[in-house]
Amino acid sequence: MSEAVTFTRAGFGRGFRRGNAFALGVFAYGLAFGLVADQAGFTPFQAFLFSVVVYSGSAQMATLSVLAAGTSLTASILWSVVALILVINARYVLFGATLRPWLGQVSPLKAYSTLYILGDGNWLMSLSAYENGERDAGFVLGSGLGPCLAWLVGTLSGSMVGGYAPNPKVLGLDFMLIAFSAAMMVGMFRQKSDWGVIAVAVPAALGVAWLGSPAWAPVIAGIAGGAFAWLRFTEERAA
Amino acid sequence: MTNVEFSILLLAMALAAYGCRVAGFLAMRYVTITPRLEAALRATPLSVMAGIVAVAAMRGGPAEWIASVAVLILAKLTGQDVLAALFGVAVIALARWVGL
Repeated sequence: MSEAVTFTRAGFGRGFRRGNAFALGVFAYGLAFGLVADQAGFTPFQAFLFSVVVYSGSAQMATLSVLAAGTSLTASILWSVVALILVINARYVLFGATLRPWLGQVSPLKAYSTLYILGDGNWLMSLSAYENGERDAGFVLGSGLGPCLAWLVGTLSGSMVGGYAPNPKVLGLDFMLIAFSAAMMVGMFRQKSDWGVIAVAVPAALGVAWLGSPAWAPVIAGIAGGAFAWLRFTEERAA
Repeated sequence: MTNVEFSILLLAMALAAYGCRVAGFLAMRYVTITPRLEAALRATPLSVMAGIVAVAAMRGGPAEWIASVAVLILAKLTGQDVLAALFGVAVIALARWVGL
């Protein structure tokens, strides 16, 4: 808690190099979003703007299920788009909270720009680096930049090339975030008591997904595991 | 959809998306980070990762199971998460290609 937090070019570079591991998968999803936006009648520039202001693959795909360029914008459509984004991106509320010990110690401009380009992959990667001693907040911004650029270039390319983009699923790219989650879990696993956190988080996630809300599964898993660690804390001290 | 309508849509989407990104960070400004709270925050990413993998395993089939186990083993053996993850992607592409 007391370790000094810095924000340097070197930290940014370390993050950028690590974050690029996600860029290919993100690019493929950007392509897919661009294609779907094109089919919904949006111009490449409009699709690009979607990606600039939302920057969330799952949320953008979901909004296209209720939007089409050809129909006029009613209040009902507008509210359903906003509600979809809030529900699907609820996990970012959690991501932001967990970054407070780190980003809370740098200037607001740096912190809020970093949050703007935060993605699932670089959030996981950053907290895993934090756990292993990284204290340079430039790492978070750096690891977010590559995937963000890949998303924007992917969106633009997909909406311009039409039907020629490869199916991400055939290349296994839909598995990228899951594979990184599994790999980084191993690196973050510190002590036997972490089994307890996992034993609480997994049923919570499965239960929520089984009830039909996969978008909420990671959020509830995070809250359940965090709450478990919170409740257990005094017991550890007493022991 | 007119340009004005599209602009309204963009603004609403931007507020909703960025609102989620800053809400948790802002809220934590008014909370003192005690060692106990830090323990809870540190358990959160591990929980999210476990949740993501568990849901993928539940909704997927043998290809997802084999690839997930391959990633866990390789990450444990090598300590290289990027290598393990990319290997997992290759394994799942192969598993799907052979029809699993």
